[in-house]
Amino acid sequence: MSNKFIGKSIKRIEDKRFTTGKGRYTDDIVLPGMTHAYMLRSPYAHARINRIDTSEAETMEGVVAIITGEEVSHYSVPCGWQVNFKNGDTMKEPPHPLLVKDKVRHVGDAVAMVIAETREQAQDAAEAIIVDYEVLPAVVNAAEAVKDGAPLVHDDVPNNICFDWEIGNPKAEVDEAMDGAHHITSLEFVNQRLSPNAMEPRSYIGHYDSVYDKYTLYTSTQNPHLIRLLMCAFVLGLPEHKVRVVGPDVGGGFGSKIYHYTEEALVTVAAKKINRPVKWTETRSEAFQTDAHGRDHVTHAEMGFDAAGKIVGLRIKTFANLGAYLSTFSTAVPTYLHGTLLQGLYTTPKIHLDMTCAFTHTTAVDAYRGAGRPEATYLLERLMDLAAHEMDMDPAELRLKNFIPPFDGVEQPGYQTNVALQYDSGNYHGVLERGLQMLGYEDFRKAQQEAAQTGKLLGVGFSTYIEACGIAPSAVVGSLGARAGLYEVGQVRVQPTGKVSVFTGAHSHGQGHETTFAQVVADRLGIPMEDVDIIHGDSDTVAFGMGTYGSRSLAVGGSAIMKSLDKIIEKGAKIAAHKLECSEEDIVFADGKFTVTGTDRSLGFGDIALTAYVPHVYPQNLEPGLDFSSFYDPKNFTYPYGCHICVVEVDKETGETKVKRFIAVDDVGTVINPMIVDGQIHGGLAQGIGQALMEGVEYDETGQLINGSYMDYTMPRADDFPMFELDRQETPCPHNPLGVKGAGEAGCIGSTPAAVNAVIDALWSGGFKVKDIKMPLTSERVWRAMN
Amino acid sequence: MLMNPDTLAKVTPGISRLELEREGVYKAIAEVKIGPVNGKFEGRAEVADPVAPESFTLKVVQNSKIGNVSADIRMHLKPVSDSETELSFDGKADMSGLLARTGNRVMSGVANTLTKQFFSNFEKELAAQGA
Repeated sequence: MSNKFIGKSIKRIEDKRFTTGKGRYTDDIVLPGMTHAYMLRSPYAHARINRIDTSEAETMEGVVAIITGEEVSHYSVPCGWQVNFKNGDTMKEPPHPLLVKDKVRHVGDAVAMVIAETREQAQDAAEAIIVDYEVLPAVVNAAEAVKDGAPLVHDDVPNNICFDWEIGNPKAEVDEAMDGAHHITSLEFVNQRLSPNAMEPRSYIGHYDSVYDKYTLYTSTQNPHLIRLLMCAFVLGLPEHKVRVVGPDVGGGFGSKIYHYTEEALVTVAAKKINRPVKWTETRSEAFQTDAHGRDHVTHAEMGFDAAGKIVGLRIKTFANLGAYLSTFSTAVPTYLHGTLLQGLYTTPKIHLDMTCAFTHTTAVDAYRGAGRPEATYLLERLMDLAAHEMDMDPAELRLKNFIPPFDGVEQPGYQTNVALQYDSGNYHGVLERGLQMLGYEDFRKAQQEAAQTGKLLGVGFSTYIEACGIAPSAVVGSLGARAGLYEVGQVRVQPTGKVSVFTGAHSHGQGHETTFAQVVADRLGIPMEDVDIIHGDSDTVAFGMGTYGSRSLAVGGSAIMKSLDKIIEKGAKIAAHKLECSEEDIVFADGKFTVTGTDRSLGFGDIALTAYVPHVYPQNLEPGLDFSSFYDPKNFTYPYGCHICVVEVDKETGETKVKRFIAVDDVGTVINPMIVDGQIHGGLAQGIGQALMEGVEYDETGQLINGSYMDYTMPRADDFPMFELDRQETPCPHNPLGVKGAGEAGCIGSTPAAVNAVIDALWSGGFKVKDIKMPLTSERVWRAMN
Repeated sequence: MLMNPDTLAKVTPGISRLELEREGVYKAIAEVKIGPVNGKFEGRAEVADPVAPESFTLKVVQNSKIGNVSADIRMHLKPVSDSETELSFDGKADMSGLLARTGNRVMSGVANTLTKQFFSNFEKELAAQGA
């Protein structure tokens, strides 16, 4: 394998079209005869529908059809993961209708779909529909929802509990360890709800071709094949070979476009009903109400230490809010993607998580960049910094004392945690020590002491995180309740002229796969990058795929491509041996040439490709053609980790917080394109610090979403941050052929607690011994904490 | 006087018309335009629990394209002297829809502005009727 492209910051091939406004998104697609849909949504969080009257709307200009809940009442959207109660009972999985007919359960719950010649006509007609609502009391907080007497979201789910769940050591063992602790740090906090805010709102087009009896769904999705599988097999009962799902250019997802949304099935049903294409594109206001939200945990956590500062136990009770309906991954996020990460980077001997997942009258909650792992990291890292303050120890020292010792996963075995995972490889001391060096820790503490005498307090916050990425080994997730395998498919088709088309089941919605994957393929085959085309996002061209989330594309999708490349080279060597009249074992492939070892006799990659398709002089018993497809199912998750350090300045008079420095030292395994990895880290940091200081979805007690616009929901902007200071440590992943671990979520996982810890540290330096400030840490909340 | 629809329509800011539907129930047409809160509301105002002469509750339900408001306003009238009556009220309003999503931030300001307008209109009306 040559190293002409791998490890180089090659400029992104796709950026030419993206930065010149030529990307082709779903809403850009116009089909002949296309109609437009508008969704009529509930303004109430919880209300009985006594009557829906569409009679006036049906007569309005341009209206083609109006679909209400009654017509589609036999369909329900499934959840992709089954989790069982502690007692073994199956989780409660109430119906998730395409349109509600009896009772709305959150603001934005859809009541009718109006289809008209134009979007404006559809909207006008929707406003003429009379819905007689009987407003009912609502509950929005998971910890409140489980109490006796709380309003029920689903009549047949007692106490709104979807399931309860636990992981770790037996509770009694953890209690015993905590009883023997020298010091216990405890913290009650809320990991608040976030809106994903992808730049491109969700957009779908349903198309039905009556000549071929074939459906096409264009969708802004992160995983077209998964949508096809869910929609065909579990919702509409359509035969998969008669349904094509296309995810063209997609403008960001952050998890929110993994899930199968009701509108995808609705446009598909509607297209057949009216025998014309139906397009629906949401408004930003609808995105706030209906794109699955993230986080929303209410937690009480305790960490016990011995006199020397070694962790002896971790005990946690969390209520996770699932919203009103189960979204595709929603039950996996607070459990398998959260509970399994509570070992963190530490040797904590006893861990117990008690988790209750509840329905509320709010938008569904599902994976949002990091998905469960940011919640686990936030919990651990807030406890660590607070414990250091309480025990008057240095927070960096406390971590170094508790880290798992370095291991490479080859000579030394992987690290078995108390929460079901086996870490692959890592040097956790390395990232923290490098971070401290970049910070200039001693000088910082001096500066902090001086600042404490002024009106501007300085604080530093640490966060050392680990994540489970490269999702996921099918056997493992299957035993955990996943209703799909999580392998990936990679097909490499060498054209007769030696040009290469690569088909991947991963899906790019901003990650730069067209560049990174091409770098890998070009280096492996020793050909120019221009000779490689990466094709994704169409279920009719790509054999199969599980899509992109959980930092899996390169680790799993890239590995599938590598398997196919190996098969290409192996077959190429057979053809070369035949033509060069030597034995196959004597052929070496390097720099795009098949050479008879120890000689100068060789054939280029293009010669072999042509021979494979024009097989006049060809080995017996070998098929023509040079085209291989592979499924790669990872042996284990990958485990990126790192150290994030935030420095803030807090104005004592106003509580205003400024991020002065942010240092991130990450180990994402082997790096294919450093510039793209840096970009991923930057974006993740902005989202993670955004949660700490600015963002948060707010519902009032009646269930109204009260900050559903960019006037009211604070999104972080470039000028809120200093230039991020990044460095990397590379310990290759031992169990995949590229050694990559995944970089998409790291920034968002590590940064949130670092920023909050920094503010708390600043306050302690000024004599304000504050345990917690509710996120986001607005200047008002920080000021109140000091006054 | 306060329970007279013509007077209420005149003094209540934004209310352009108030029609008596039946005893104590009015159909109300309102137009409000303050900052991002801008819409035509159609709804119903109902006088409930009247305890003449000292108090009554005004139950208001207003629907519009930008969201719905339902409010319970308890009016208290307390004679201070023969010629003076103190008018006070307390209440609670629930909003939904776009109004709640985007208007919430400015709503208490809007409510204060409307309240001030109500009292100044009422004073003017009293003066006019007294004259």
